Amino acid sequence: MTLSRRLVVGAASVVAFLILWQFVGQREIVRSDLISYPTEVLGTFIHLTATGELGSNAAVTLQEFVEGFVPSIVFGIIFGVVLALVKPLRELLDPLLTAIYTAPTIAFIPIFVVWFGVGTFSKVVIVFISAIFPIMINTRVGVSEIAEPWLRAVRSFGAGQLQVVTKAILPGSMPAIMAGIRLGLGRAIVGLIAAEMYVSITGIGRMIQVYSSAARASEIIVLVVVIAVFGYVCVALLRSVENRMGTWRSDLE
Amino acid sequence: MAHLEIDHVSLAYPNAREKTSFLALDAIDLGVERGEFVTIVGPSGCGKSSLLMLIAALQQPTGGSVRLNGKPVAKPGPDRALVFQDFALLPWRTVLQNVELGLELRHMAPDERRAIARKYIAMVGLRDFERHFPHQLSGGMRQRVGIARALSVGPEVLLMDEPFGALDAQIRQVMAVELLKIWERDRKTIVFITHDIDEAVFLADRVIVMSASPGRVLEIIPVDLPRPRPLTLRNHPGFVAYRERIWNLLEDEVRSSLNWQASDDAAPMVPAL
Repeated sequence: MTLSRRLVVGAASVVAFLILWQFVGQREIVRSDLISYPTEVLGTFIHLTATGELGSNAAVTLQEFVEGFVPSIVFGIIFGVVLALVKPLRELLDPLLTAIYTAPTIAFIPIFVVWFGVGTFSKVVIVFISAIFPIMINTRVGVSEIAEPWLRAVRSFGAGQLQVVTKAILPGSMPAIMAGIRLGLGRAIVGLIAAEMYVSITGIGRMIQVYSSAARASEIIVLVVVIAVFGYVCVALLRSVENRMGTWRSDLE
Repeated sequence: MAHLEIDHVSLAYPNAREKTSFLALDAIDLGVERGEFVTIVGPSGCGKSSLLMLIAALQQPTGGSVRLNGKPVAKPGPDRALVFQDFALLPWRTVLQNVELGLELRHMAPDERRAIARKYIAMVGLRDFERHFPHQLSGGMRQRVGIARALSVGPEVLLMDEPFGALDAQIRQVMAVELLKIWERDRKTIVFITHDIDEAVFLADRVIVMSASPGRVLEIIPVDLPRPRPLTLRNHPGFVAYRERIWNLLEDEVRSSLNWQASDDAAPMVPAL
C-alpha cells in the first residue's frame, strides 16, 4: 500500500470513530457527562488553553520529562557500554539491575516522594529511573553483539580504545540503542503521569487527578489526548533522528 | 636488507589445562623486497592468516621478530594496511565513508580525506557508487571498497588475507587481473594469502609454500613468468609446471592434515573405561 493511501485509510477510521462518538454522546445514547463528545472536548480544550491552565501545567510536566529523559539517554548509553565491555562489573551488577528493571517503576513513586518531596524533582527522578534501564540494557545487548569484523577493521588502522568505541561500537549498536530509547520513552511517560497523579502540586497528571475526582470526562479526555499526542511526537522525532543517522539497520547485514 | 623481514617468527597458543602449547608457526624466515608481490599458499590450518596478523601487529609472536625497514613492528600502523576475506566493511557507512575510515582515525581534515578517498574509489572503478551502502553492492564490489580503503592510507605494505576467497571463481580471476593493474602502477609491497594455487602463481613474484601444523616454510618458489599477465596465462606451459610443482609439495601436507583430522575425530569413539 502506498503512503498516501495508507494515510487516507488511517484517517478514515479516525473520522468514522469521531462521528460515531459525537452521535452517541450528543444524543445522550450514553450519558454525555460520562463519555462527552468531540465538539464538547474541543470546547474544553479551547477553554483550558485560553485560561492558561493547560499551558502552565504542560510546561511543568514537559520540563520534568526533559530533565529526566535526556540524562537517562546519556547515562544509559554510557553505563550500557561499560557493562558490556567490563565483564566483572557485569557479573557483579546483573542480578541487581535485572531486579530493579523488572520491578514496576511506579512502585518506587512513594519512596521517591519521601526522599525528594512532592515537588518536581521526585518526578525527574522517576522519569530518569523509568527510562535508564531499558536504554542501558538494550545498549549492553547491542554492544555485546557487535560483529567482530567491524572491530577488526577499525583496529587494523591503528584505532585506540576510545576510537574503537566511537567508530565501531556505538554506531554498530545504534539500532539496539534506539530501540532502548523508544522503550524508555514509553516507560518514562507512564511513570511521570502516575507520579504526578499520586502526589503533586502541578502538572498534567495532577490535572487528571483533580478533574477525575470532580468526574469531569471532557477535561480528562483532553488531557489524555495531549499526552498521547506528546508521545506520538516524541516517537516521530526519534524516527527522524534515526533516519538522519543513515539507513543502517541490523537486518541489512 | 629486505623491506619486510620475518625473522625466525614463531607463534604458540598455550593450553593451560594440559600444560602444553599448540605451535601454529614454527621459526618462519622470510624477507620480502620493496615492491615485491609475494603470495603465501598452504593447507588450511597452516597458520598463514596468523602470520599476516603478526605482520600487521594485531597479534604478537611468541618468538622471533617482524621488521619493516629494519624496525620491529610493535602495533598496527599506517605503513601496513589489511584487506580481509570477509571485507570487514562498516554497514552503516557509505562506500565513501568506508574508504575514509583509515584517514579519519588519523584525524585528517574532512575535505582532505574525502579527496583522497575519491581518488582510490575511482582507481577501483566505483566512482558511481560513492553513496551506496555495502549491502547494496556485490561481493566483488565490496572487496574493491576494501582494497580502496587499504590503499587510501598510503601504506608501504599491503597485507591481503584471502581477499578473493569469498568471491565466485570468475569474479576471482577478474579481480586478480585488476589487482595486478593497480599494483603495477605504484608497486607496493604485497603479501597475499591464498589457498588457491592458481591464484598464488598468477599473482606472485615468489610463492611461499607452507606446511600444516606447525606452519613452516616448505619452499620458496620464484615465479619467472612475464608481466603484465593476461588471464590466458593460466594455460601457458610454464604456468602449468609451477602449478604441478606446488601441488606436489602440498599434496602430502593436505593428506597428512586430513589423516590428522580423521584420527582426531575418531578419538571420542574409543570407549571410556
